[in-house]
Amino acid sequence: MERPMSHHKEFLLEKEKIDNLYNKGYRITAVNETLSGAFVEFSRVIEKKILEKEELQFLNPDTRIYFSTLIRAEQKAE
Amino acid sequence: MADLSINFAGIKSPNPFWLASAPPTNSGYQVQRAFEAGWGGAVWKTLGEPILNISSRFAGTHFNGQRVAGFNNTELITDRPLEVNLKEIYETKKRFPNNPIIASLMVEPEQEKWHEIVKRVEAVGVDGFELNFGCPHGMAERGMGAASGQVPELVEKQTMWAKEAAESPVIVKLTPNITDITATAYAAVQGGADAISMINTINSLAGVDLDTWNTIPHVAGKGAHGGYCGPAVKPIALNMVAECARNSTINVPISGIGGISDWRDAVEFMLMGAGGLQVCTAAMHHGFSIVEDMVEGLNNYLDDKGLASVGDLVGKSVPKYSDWGDLDLNYKSVARINTDTCINCNKCHIACEDTAHQCIDMLKAKDGTKYLQVNEDDCVGCNLCSIVCPVDGAIDMIEIPSDEPMTWKEREAAIKEPSCGISLVK
Repeated sequence: MERPMSHHKEFLLEKEKIDNLYNKGYRITAVNETLSGAFVEFSRVIEKKILEKEELQFLNPDTRIYFSTLIRAEQKAE
Repeated sequence: MADLSINFAGIKSPNPFWLASAPPTNSGYQVQRAFEAGWGGAVWKTLGEPILNISSRFAGTHFNGQRVAGFNNTELITDRPLEVNLKEIYETKKRFPNNPIIASLMVEPEQEKWHEIVKRVEAVGVDGFELNFGCPHGMAERGMGAASGQVPELVEKQTMWAKEAAESPVIVKLTPNITDITATAYAAVQGGADAISMINTINSLAGVDLDTWNTIPHVAGKGAHGGYCGPAVKPIALNMVAECARNSTINVPISGIGGISDWRDAVEFMLMGAGGLQVCTAAMHHGFSIVEDMVEGLNNYLDDKGLASVGDLVGKSVPKYSDWGDLDLNYKSVARINTDTCINCNKCHIACEDTAHQCIDMLKAKDGTKYLQVNEDDCVGCNLCSIVCPVDGAIDMIEIPSDEPMTWKEREAAIKEPSCGISLVK
C-alpha cells in the first residue's frame, strides 16, 4: 500500500486555488464546515455588489487554518 | 542561599516539603525522625474513629526495571486510639516547635462529630487541619473520604463545620476521583477553607497474578480497589493543581501532592501554583533522607535563577496554562534529526511511519551510508519521534516562523461572518 498523498502537497494545491481567486479580487463570503470538509464561498465584490460567486471544497486541515487566517487578517484590517 | 521558608495559609514552615498524611506520619517516632532528617512539616496520618486494617496492603507497579513507578495502597486511616495520637502530637510539637504539624481528620458527615474532633485535636497544639475528603477505599464505603469528597455540597458543608470549631487554618484535601476537581475545590472555598490540597490517591488495581489469577495485592484470594500514587500520577496531579490555580474563584493557597519525587517535581508544582508541597511515595521508597536532596536541589535551582525566596516561584507558569481553544493554530514546530548524534536505530522512522504522519525517510548517501531525514513540510510537530528516540540530542524540535497567531476560538468567531457583516447585494 502506498503512503497517502502528501499532506503538504495537498495543502499547496488547495492554497493555490485560494490565492488565485484572491488575486482575481475574490473574497471569502461564507464558510460551511461539514463532515466532508469545508465548503467555502468566494465572491468577487465591487462596491458591495457581488459580481461572481464560486464555491470550493477544501479537505486539508492546513488549508482550513490558511483561509481562516486570511479572513481574520481582512477583518482586522477593516 | 535562598530563603526556603513558606507561610502557607498562615502556617509557617522552614521549607515547603511536608510529609503527606499516610503511613510515614503514623506516629510520633516517625514524624520526629522525619523532622530530624529535614522535613519542613508533616500532615499526621488521618485521625478518626479507630479502624481495622487488612493484611497485605501495598503494591508497587514497576515498569521496565524502574521500581515503584506507581504505588497502590489499601491501608485505611489511623488504627491507633485518638488519645495515643494526641499525646504523640503534643510531644512531637514540644520537641519541634518550628516544624508545623497538620492533623488530617476524617469523621462522618455530621456537624457534632466535626466539632468534637476539631476541638480535641486543636487542644494539643496542632498548626492546622487537613480534612480528608479523598481516601478512596474502605472509609468511602462508610460515607467518608472520597464518598464525601465527590459531592460538592458535602465538601462545603463539612468544611463549614470544621471551620466553625477551628481556630487554626483548615486545608481541604480533594479527591481526584471526580471529573472536574475545580467543582469540589470551589465548594471547599465556599465552605470557608483556608487552603486546599490535592491530589489524594486514584482508584486503582495494581495488577493480576498470571499464575494464581489473584489480584495484586490480594487478601485471602480477594482484592478490592486501592489508591494509586507515586511518580505515575504526577501529570494528573499537576494538571489538577494548575486547573485550580488558574481558576479565579478558587482564591486560596494550594498544597501540591502527587508523585513529587525530587526537587524538579517540586519546582514544577510550585510554578503551577502550589504554595506548599506534600510527599509520601518517594519517602516510602527511599526513606526520610531524600528530603536532603530535595532541599539542596531546590536551593541550588533558586540560586541559579537568582531568586531570593522559594515564594518567588509560586504560580509563575500559571498564566501559560490555558484552554485548548486559546492555543495558536498557526504555531508550527518540526522535528530535525542531527545525523552526527543519530545512531540510526530507526525507532523514529518506525514510530512515524506506523503511528504518526509518515514524514521520516531512511535515505542513502552517495557513499552508501544510511541516514534518517524529516520531511519538514509534512511534519506536524507531534513530538513522537523525539519522545521515542533513545539518544539525547539526536532529534530537536525546531520552531518555524509562522503567520499571525490565531486561536481556535478566534477562528470560530472569524468564519461565522467572513465578510465582516458588510451587507452584500446581488
